Amino acid sequence: MADVAQLPGVLEQIRLVAGLRWRILRNGLRRKNNQWDLIGIIVASVFASFFVIGLCFAFSFGAYTFLSGGHETWMAFLFWGIFIFWQLVPVFTAGFGASFEFRNMLRFPLSLPAFYAIGLAYGLADFPAVASICWLTAMIIGATVANPTLLPAMLLICGLFLLMNVTLGRMIGSWLERVLARRRSREIFFALFILFAVSVQFLNPILQRYGRSTLPWVKHLLPYLSVFPPSLAGQAIAGAAQNHFSDLLIGVAGISAYALLFSVFLWMRFATQYRGEELSETAAPARTTLRPVSRSDQQSGDALRLLTPQVAAVLRKEFRYLTRNSFAFFLLIMPPVFVLLFTTQFAGRHPTATRHPVSTEFFFPGMMAYLILILMAPAYNCFAYDGKGIQTFFTCPVSFRELFLGKNLLQASMLVFELTLSMLAFSYLVGLPSLPLLVATLAAVVFNVAGQFAIANWSSLSFPRKLNFGQMRGQRQSGMAAVVSFGAQLLAWGISAPILFMGRWTGDKWLPAEVFAFLAAAAIAGYISSLDPLAALAEKKKETIIEALSR
Amino acid sequence: MTDSAIVTQRLTRRFGNLMAVDGVDLTVAAGQFFGFLGPNGAGKSTTIKMLTGLLAPTSGRAELLGLDFATHAVEVKRQIGVVPEGMGLFERLTGAEYLQFVGRMYGLDRPTTQRRSDELLDFMQLSDRPKTLIADYSHGMQKKLALAAAVIHGPRILFLDEPFEGVDALAAGALKALLGRMTERGVTIFLTSHVLEIVERLCSHVAIIHKGRLVAQGSLEELRAGIAGEEGSKTTLEQIFLSIVGQDGGQRPQLEELSWLT
Repeated sequence: MADVAQLPGVLEQIRLVAGLRWRILRNGLRRKNNQWDLIGIIVASVFASFFVIGLCFAFSFGAYTFLSGGHETWMAFLFWGIFIFWQLVPVFTAGFGASFEFRNMLRFPLSLPAFYAIGLAYGLADFPAVASICWLTAMIIGATVANPTLLPAMLLICGLFLLMNVTLGRMIGSWLERVLARRRSREIFFALFILFAVSVQFLNPILQRYGRSTLPWVKHLLPYLSVFPPSLAGQAIAGAAQNHFSDLLIGVAGISAYALLFSVFLWMRFATQYRGEELSETAAPARTTLRPVSRSDQQSGDALRLLTPQVAAVLRKEFRYLTRNSFAFFLLIMPPVFVLLFTTQFAGRHPTATRHPVSTEFFFPGMMAYLILILMAPAYNCFAYDGKGIQTFFTCPVSFRELFLGKNLLQASMLVFELTLSMLAFSYLVGLPSLPLLVATLAAVVFNVAGQFAIANWSSLSFPRKLNFGQMRGQRQSGMAAVVSFGAQLLAWGISAPILFMGRWTGDKWLPAEVFAFLAAAAIAGYISSLDPLAALAEKKKETIIEALSR
Repeated sequence: MTDSAIVTQRLTRRFGNLMAVDGVDLTVAAGQFFGFLGPNGAGKSTTIKMLTGLLAPTSGRAELLGLDFATHAVEVKRQIGVVPEGMGLFERLTGAEYLQFVGRMYGLDRPTTQRRSDELLDFMQLSDRPKTLIADYSHGMQKKLALAAAVIHGPRILFLDEPFEGVDALAAGALKALLGRMTERGVTIFLTSHVLEIVERLCSHVAIIHKGRLVAQGSLEELRAGIAGEEGSKTTLEQIFLSIVGQDGGQRPQLEELSWLT
């Protein structure tokens, strides 16, 4: 019979969890590809230190000024700042993926109270929690310097506030862990995140237009905020400073009640986890039924009958991948939205445009260049989402010529769709440029896209980097692919810009269109002739490509 | 037409200082159910990768169905099916979509692809969830799908890297029957597995690779005879395997070292 070891204490277990998190981070940086992460972490740490220390001074100075200047009730603003930071930052960073799932601790012999205690301690190790604790400490110092008799009240209120925040943070965190364990909800989360990021861009124009009219509504809502923990904490400190001890008691009771309520919910959540919770989304076996062949399946290929079966198969697969990759799919929304935004801000005759809007003759080619810049970027690592499926490409009796044609065709179709959409928005808002410039710009687009496809295909073979669906953490393109992409775009538009202005200098408005038509034809010929050498290169580099994408 | 489905000559693959496969000479006759065995890290998957075009050999050559892989890669690939080590699935497709994709990549027309795809999905018991993405399949379901994709075009040689790993007993039984019928029809099956009982039951011929070198090759009877003479007829494949790869000593962990556990 094997010996059974004594269980370590809760504190020892907390120390072990902290050590585990550190080792996961450290070992993750050992990979050659993650050396840039290390530099990134060092740079981010320096910035984060400046951020935290700088705000420590701000919170300390704020507490001192409010309490010594007779604005005790303003202390609530400081608590609100900490509360919002502590609770919102982890929510926004949750989707970037956790490197360590807390519920994995359940495989070890922990009691439920120990699991709960470790869960709370785990919540205190996050950056927002550490920063908030620093700021609360700074507030205590500032308040004590302003009024030494407030020290006990500050310690009590800040301690309760900390307990309430860490409990609430862990409660939200553990629910997020449950929700984001499912692929579909992760993707919806990313979609919402991107939509939020896009929506924020419109905040400034909306505030400029409607800001004043919403102010009374905001003022009307403000009193209702007093029942929330940060306001209660502010009121309690103000009460203690003004010797209104009933306010202090109400604040203490209120924050304690919140902490208790969140503790009960967190306990229930952890108890569910502790009993064992199935988060897997693997399809369960079910009774087999014969599935009739759908007519749509048979007919869907008709539109692609002009292509070879292999190119059509790749095109169809790429389209399915695009529609199922919420992150990439929603990124398609952004370019037309930004065209809309920039156009309303800087160009034409729209009422929200600046006083001296940019001429359409300049703005239209600029916008097209911007769209190409954004939309061509994924082409420089076009196997990124294929993952282990890349092996299928290599085991099938198909040349990479067909694969590139299929992939590039979809990318080109997407470009045509996006450019058409943007041009419609553009023409509605500010009108199209003159015909010679319009034709020249479109020919320049063909020249750029065809030329860039050849370079992008080479980059995809030379610097492959796997990207995962529904995940944002660590999802970076290869550094070299980014450099190649940027360099190719610079080169392409460096050639294009002088040609576009050639008409203005020479007085021949159609000259740029003619030059670009020639260049576009040359670029297409170059693209086609690049396919066979690229197929040979793929064969040569297959090991590197499979290794990079099958990781 | 040749009698040998697979012939390798001094097939070698080096990774830096590591000699993963060292001058392997292998001959597999057409229609054989061939088991390729070896301990972890012996070079099995590397060999399969070289035979299926996923890895280029450092030196030596591989000939499949009389065609040199290096010069007739596409023609060879048309006639082989592969379940590679990582299965190589496109996880964001459904099972049916993946099979249709693979069928079309092998040049099958749409109605044939559709019909075979439906039949294979039914056979593998994967047709009940047509909208489920492969990413959401269990490991066993993924394995069955990878097998279905490997046979959709009717290959003449089938390479299977651990095909039964994670597959339930019911499906494994059906698969074994299918593979048996394929060999009866002349299809050559090249299989690696760590489950020696499966190899012993299915394969007529076996090769053992150890530290990158081919240390034994032949029919089970030949291997038995080589190991234990006349008494070898009762020797199991596991005993043959252990006697061959354990010859250089120190291969089997010593239980005495774990006395606190036992």
